Amino acid sequence: MAFVEQHIHDAPTSFWSKYIVSYDHKVIGKQFLWYGIFFLMVGGLMALLIRWTLAYPGVPFPVIGNLLFPHTNGVVPPDTYAMLFTMHGTIMIFFAITPILTGFLGNFCIPLLIGARDMIFPTLNMLSFWFAMASGVLLLGSLCLPLGAAAGGWTSYPTLSTNLGQPGVGQTLWLLSLFLFGVSSTMGAVNYITTVITLRAPGMGYFKMPLTIWGLWLTAILNAIFVPVLGAGLLLLTFDRVFGTTFFLAGAAATSGKGDPILFQHVFWIFGHPEVYILILPAWGLVSDILAFFSRKPAFGYKMTALSLSAITILSTVVYGHHMYTTQMSPLLTQSFMTLTMLISIPSAIFFANWLGTLWKGSIRFDSPMLFALGVVFVFGLGGLTGLYLASTSIDLYLHDTYFVVGHFHYTMAASVLLGGFAGTYFWFPKMFGRMMDERLAKIHFWATMLPLNGIFMGMMMVGWAGMHRRLYNPFIYEFMHKLIPVNQFITFSAVAMGLAQFIFLYNLFKTVFSKNYPAAPANPWNVGTLEWQIPSPAPHYNFLEIPHVKCGPHELGNPNLPDGRDFQYQTEELVKA
Amino acid sequence: MMKNPANEYKRFQNTVAMTVTLITFGMLFGTLFLGYFLARFNAPTWPPVEIENMPKLLPFLSTLVMALSSYTYFKMEKEEEKRKTFWWATFGLGILFLVLQYVLWNALAASGILVSNGQVPSMVYGFTWLHAGHIVVALMTLLYLGRYIFRRPEELTEAKLVNVGKFWHFLGVIWLLMYLMLFVL
Repeated sequence: MAFVEQHIHDAPTSFWSKYIVSYDHKVIGKQFLWYGIFFLMVGGLMALLIRWTLAYPGVPFPVIGNLLFPHTNGVVPPDTYAMLFTMHGTIMIFFAITPILTGFLGNFCIPLLIGARDMIFPTLNMLSFWFAMASGVLLLGSLCLPLGAAAGGWTSYPTLSTNLGQPGVGQTLWLLSLFLFGVSSTMGAVNYITTVITLRAPGMGYFKMPLTIWGLWLTAILNAIFVPVLGAGLLLLTFDRVFGTTFFLAGAAATSGKGDPILFQHVFWIFGHPEVYILILPAWGLVSDILAFFSRKPAFGYKMTALSLSAITILSTVVYGHHMYTTQMSPLLTQSFMTLTMLISIPSAIFFANWLGTLWKGSIRFDSPMLFALGVVFVFGLGGLTGLYLASTSIDLYLHDTYFVVGHFHYTMAASVLLGGFAGTYFWFPKMFGRMMDERLAKIHFWATMLPLNGIFMGMMMVGWAGMHRRLYNPFIYEFMHKLIPVNQFITFSAVAMGLAQFIFLYNLFKTVFSKNYPAAPANPWNVGTLEWQIPSPAPHYNFLEIPHVKCGPHELGNPNLPDGRDFQYQTEELVKA
Repeated sequence: MMKNPANEYKRFQNTVAMTVTLITFGMLFGTLFLGYFLARFNAPTWPPVEIENMPKLLPFLSTLVMALSSYTYFKMEKEEEKRKTFWWATFGLGILFLVLQYVLWNALAASGILVSNGQVPSMVYGFTWLHAGHIVVALMTLLYLGRYIFRRPEELTEAKLVNVGKFWHFLGVIWLLMYLMLFVL
């Protein structure tokens, strides 16, 4: 079928149409960026409250403790502690990482990198942001309720999340908030999938797409398939709480008929395991691109990397049971899930080896996006390897409820995704705002983040291996845990240092965006050949005046036969023979 | 309806989008069915005691209405000159389906099958609530289509007609599966 290009929309003229209800994918991307940064700060503050409690149990939280918890003279109370780790997990996963990686990068990058003028459904795109906004308002509003917000853990397992385990409206609002967020994600997924399939510029086959697009596209596919699974679980749990159904009620929670609380765990993890990849695939994709761009050579094994990402996407859908080894499922099932989980290491190892192959003998430039991308390689290596321990049934039975799991998933989900988000932000910043962020500050930000980050998550794995339970308000009531207090204090100091480091990023960001007389960025500051670097910085509202015709892949770098002394060629140029 | 490359491409784009949308809705209902099968395979006897008095006629009538509405929608797509009549028929049958659902919920309560009686009554109520909610959304998409059929027929594209139809027929198939699982088998 012949390609038909999108029309050029009229440029918005009023503040309202330009910044609030904008249909422009770039503005919506920026809206998701601010949204994610805001929630990153809220979730980060909650993390510090949790860490303080574990390092100094019974000691008031410094400076703002008395303001937040006047009834306990500034000490975090036990019920609030449960609420804090519930809301920290929820906010970081759904309201910080997802908006930044999928909402911001997806919206900003997809049309620009595939040569389109906008998303295929701009109105749906705008609605997806405002649904996310409504969802965020609902979640934050629940913090102000008399009985507090949800406190059943970010997984909200029944019975903890039933009316008996969690009375009050907070948990119900949590369910509705996440359902709304799911609707927003699904709208985004429909848009992303359709845009990539139908609006790629002429000549851009699937294997000529930047790997960032592969990551974002596969994420959207997982979103479209598995977010509704969580949606069903959330609705049924809402019915249990509000209308008296008994889908998940058992024991004392079931006053008449009884249901099956384990069913919720099945539903949650059928979604929850792919969710890990929903978060991480965009980061893997953009890291694969950035490693090639800043090594000044083609991505090693491009097709195998794309196929490995696809294989991981498929395998991620059939391994959810490894989160439930401790629910006494049959040994046959645990072994099946263990085997399938271990299988994921094969495609993971392939693309990880491809990353190393890309770096091998490259003319590496240590600009800020590259530093953060290398950070992802490092932390994902650690997170991936520790995942093998937890995939194994016999080891998981010991480690499952310890801080080892917390360290592992923070390495994979928090660290690699956060660093990936920073890599993408620094890389595409000139195209977003038409200015370059301060490189020196960016590099300081990297090291000030990277070092304490490893202190936190490595420390968590250590105390977990030593037997520290992951859900206790005060694990030190057990005498054998006392020797772990100094390690916990080290973790907390690392967390404070990492938190403070983010102000360097915020300062750099706000200074660059809002200060006057800042020098304009060139159209292609990184010397990269993908389509977005052929248009001015910042990208105009219609992106491409003429829809580009793609003639080669995204990583044509380092060819000595290129004209004009360039070491890269644009995707719209005929491939020069090496 | 005009046929030109731009319209054809628009239809292709909408088909992709609607396919993805139906997969998402399919996964939502698929999760409900997964819950049903887990409950059924774990139950010592089936049907459980609490659903012995389950009404039979009302769900059957709902199934007939749903099937009929799919037929009228199909005719609306095919017969351009009677499009308005078949639109009204489809919309009316959709409303009738919702009325029948309301009567069913009242009949269930009257025969002592309450929402809190156990997992199976929870399924009957919960699943039918969710399906009815989707029917309301489908009726809204029919109203959207009606705007073009009655007021701006020159702007009615095949893509609009086909995609709303896909959603309508999809909900029919989902209802048929629910009917078989909850009331027949």
